[in-house]
Amino acid sequence: MVQMIITGLLCGALLGFVMQRGRFCLTGGFRDMYLTKDNRMFYALLIAIAVQSVGVYTLVALEVIQISTGTLPLFAIILGSFIFGIGIVLAGGCATGTWYRAGEGLIGSWIALAGYILMSTIMKTGPLSPLNQKIQQPQLPTNSMADTLGINVWFLIALLLAVVGWIIYKEVTKPKVVIPTLKPKKTGLAHILFEKRWHPFLTALLVGLIAILAWPLSSATGRIAGLGITTPSANILQYLTTGDLAFINWGVFLVLGILVGSFVAAKASNEFRFRMPDVKTGLTSFTGGNLMGFGASLAGGCSIGNGLVMTALMTWQGWIALIFMILGTWTAVYFVFIRGRKEKKSKATVQTSITTA
Amino acid sequence: MKKVLGVMGMVCPFPLVEAKEAIAELSSGDELVIEFDCTQATDTIPRWAAEEGHNVTNYEQVGDAAWTITVQKK
Repeated sequence: MVQMIITGLLCGALLGFVMQRGRFCLTGGFRDMYLTKDNRMFYALLIAIAVQSVGVYTLVALEVIQISTGTLPLFAIILGSFIFGIGIVLAGGCATGTWYRAGEGLIGSWIALAGYILMSTIMKTGPLSPLNQKIQQPQLPTNSMADTLGINVWFLIALLLAVVGWIIYKEVTKPKVVIPTLKPKKTGLAHILFEKRWHPFLTALLVGLIAILAWPLSSATGRIAGLGITTPSANILQYLTTGDLAFINWGVFLVLGILVGSFVAAKASNEFRFRMPDVKTGLTSFTGGNLMGFGASLAGGCSIGNGLVMTALMTWQGWIALIFMILGTWTAVYFVFIRGRKEKKSKATVQTSITTA
Repeated sequence: MKKVLGVMGMVCPFPLVEAKEAIAELSSGDELVIEFDCTQATDTIPRWAAEEGHNVTNYEQVGDAAWTITVQKK
């Protein structure tokens, strides 16, 4: 138990710290691929996946950890990931993003988190769990891409590494634009840790390394898995309402650690402040949180569980989930930012023309 | 001319979306002062200004999780 608390909190705190300082926001990343045609954060995610993939399959080869990828509830993954994608736009952050923004003092993220944890619990052990199980029932036998294709998993990893290498090469050789920065007020290590803008690719490398670290740390406590957010988040509420210690595991301390790590990072960087959203944002956040919990429970993972971890394990689940959560994000972006803004604008024009007339 | 855009309390990407709309209504050489408190915008707003070729004449943190940036339209 003590080991679980210490290593879980530590791993979570590292992740929360790195994500807060590196502005590692997958929702923003997926959103900007469409809204501003900026793929940098998506590329960063691919780097984090590749790093973790190499690390995890090396650990498997060294017999430090064992993994099984299981079967593939294809329909639940597609539907759940798409709904999750819509939810993260409304909530203003993915599951992990919501945890770390809660640590920055954003009350809107606390509201989203409440909806997310509540709905995940309802889906996992509450009245919607029969529905959840029913949708997840049609299962395809193999989840591992390498098994389906009848090749060694390292071929797939090599392919991903080649893609990532090409992306890094393109990015490094791109003509540089000088981005204005804040005048540094700190020096040395304090400047690097609590002030400097981190390159998303460096952040991605660190996230990948933390994701590798999670495997042996979690497995040592009996939870054979890597980073995971949704089930542990639900476990907190399940424990609080039943008092059953069986719900407490390494993942619970991991998610609590994210909150701690991001709070420390934000506080030390003068970026922590309690911020209350307006009523509309609050309601949207709560709706988004619920959709996130519903979708992630169906799909068996969020943008971390599926998007970062199952992808690194080279499973169909991970990559299909990633595609559909991006499509869900784009759908919500279209309605919230593109059509929503146009309507608001045309209304505004109508009003002005009336006043002028 | 100087226009102040207060987007404190708005979550990302709204500060950037609002800034883009506000600057579209200004003439070349006018300045847009954006006051915001969304952490991610500390990266996205200066990046947008630089990529669009606008000049950033002032950028500073004014308090805990509060920033101001002045963008001069190109």
